[in-house]
Amino acid sequence: MAKSITHEFVKGLWEEVPPFRLVLGLCPVLGVTTKMQFGIGMGLATTFVLVCANILVSVLRKVIPAKVRIACFIVIIATFVTLVELLMQAFAYPLFLQLGIFIPLIVVNCVVLGRAEAFASKNGLLPSIADGLGIGIGFTISLAALGALREILGAGTLTLWEGIELVNLVNIFPGFQPFQFMIQAPGAFVCLGLMLCFMNLAGSK
Amino acid sequence: MDEYIVLIVSCIFVNNILLAQFLGNCPFFGTSKKMETAVGMSMAVIFVLVLAGVITWVVYNFMLVPLNLTYLRTIAFILVIASLVQFVEMFLKKSIPALYAGLGIFLPLITTNCAVFGACVINIDKEYSFMKALVASFSFAVGFGLALILFAGLRERILLARVPGPLQDTSIALVAAGIISLTFFAFRGMV
Amino acid sequence: MGEMIKMFVVLTILSSLSGGVLAYVKENTQGRIEDAVLQLVKGPAIKAIFQDAANDPVADRFNLEDGDRKLDIFVAKIDGKQMIAFETFGKGYGGDIGLVVGVNVAEDNIFGVGVTTHSETAGLGSKAKDDPSFAAQFAGADIKAPVKVTADGGSINALSGATITSRAVTSAATEAGEVYERLRPQIIEELKSFN
Repeated sequence: MAKSITHEFVKGLWEEVPPFRLVLGLCPVLGVTTKMQFGIGMGLATTFVLVCANILVSVLRKVIPAKVRIACFIVIIATFVTLVELLMQAFAYPLFLQLGIFIPLIVVNCVVLGRAEAFASKNGLLPSIADGLGIGIGFTISLAALGALREILGAGTLTLWEGIELVNLVNIFPGFQPFQFMIQAPGAFVCLGLMLCFMNLAGSK
Repeated sequence: MDEYIVLIVSCIFVNNILLAQFLGNCPFFGTSKKMETAVGMSMAVIFVLVLAGVITWVVYNFMLVPLNLTYLRTIAFILVIASLVQFVEMFLKKSIPALYAGLGIFLPLITTNCAVFGACVINIDKEYSFMKALVASFSFAVGFGLALILFAGLRERILLARVPGPLQDTSIALVAAGIISLTFFAFRGMV
Repeated sequence: MGEMIKMFVVLTILSSLSGGVLAYVKENTQGRIEDAVLQLVKGPAIKAIFQDAANDPVADRFNLEDGDRKLDIFVAKIDGKQMIAFETFGKGYGGDIGLVVGVNVAEDNIFGVGVTTHSETAGLGSKAKDDPSFAAQFAGADIKAPVKVTADGGSINALSGATITSRAVTSAATEAGEVYERLRPQIIEELKSFN
């Protein structure tokens, strides 16, 4: 049992990591990753919704009638999304402004609904929590990695959290010119495409 | 009138929902492998997005605002869209079977299409009037269709090209999408 | 039939639970959210303009009706003189640009400006907010005259590569002048209570 729970957790980190392995939930991946900190914030918000929705769906899976299960899942997910929206406005308003429309959009993130339908509605509480956490953290790491790459290339900085700047290339190499293409919309597609390519390279060995 | 022309150009090109706002990217990559499915998806999105845009606008301004429940927007909108899609599916099946045969398989996918949900939220965030919300919804949907169909054409050509191993499939598709996005980028500053 | 009832019951319970929880959270976060909006959106710009204020300009405020718009007006005291600040908007490259304009009420000139919200291109138009030397040019300008960039015959040097953004900021400053002239008697009336 313990082994399988670890397995559910770990699979989200590599084997089934969205958005790379399962090309799902792309919109926030492309939309918010202009800075690493936005990627992390978005990833954590999604993880919260994912875990909470997984818990509730798993607990209620025997009560929810099969015919209206999608409607029930949507109500559950939308509730947690609204919760995140309100809490974020109250406690992390600058981040909320930056993520903007992508917070309510968690509700239509295929990853969240996908986990509720494919996993939590068929499994017990603990595996569901592990699954939600694993996929959520995998998603966060992917967003952070893409955000880090785009930020360092496109702006020459690396921001872990509001005000915590890890690296600033402009200070290290005076005269450094950031490749601004990377933080613009087209750069998001190209950068993710190339990252996927490198993951394929690493995976094929 | 000028205002509406600017709005249309802005929604179709400058703020293209797929390439500039990054909404609806799952179907963008999922249904663009074949021209046929791309056209089907585009039509379904135009159909549903216009309806959803109008209905959510009415729900928000005549139900949520007077009742002071605007914070329930996310839930209300997703439920409206989900039931709308079900309803449209049933209606088409019974009344216009020919259209249903074309759009049928794409309709269920639209519930989780963030382009639809996102456009409805944008209409509210920008405080559009009813007419503007209607025009914006239609233009967003046309922009979605335009980008998707262009992209599908490109992907059909990519199939014929010799792509290096690790770049194949989604990876090269993303890079190609970046280039299309770059061309749409040229419209920025027009309005 | 039994299944129908079950479906109905489950959905109703679920929805009412969700509504209840959210109403509770909303109730408890509302105050904090309003504070956050003021502190974090307009706050930094206002504090930057009135660095030497003897009071807290974000806390000392009143509001006036301007047409159908409600305007928050922030009050600051510097060297015994009263200053006010409020936000106006201009149309930029990527959407509306919010600008807080600080006005020296005694001399009817602009004390300072600061960009609040914008969606301009990073590294180009975004300098309107990030480059203090751009905003500094506005200080001292006559509030009653339109503010313009040099290309339009004014005195503000536009940001390089971001003429549209620069024009948007000047038009917001010009609008602030118009609003100020409209509301001036009321503002002076209200300011008496802050002395």
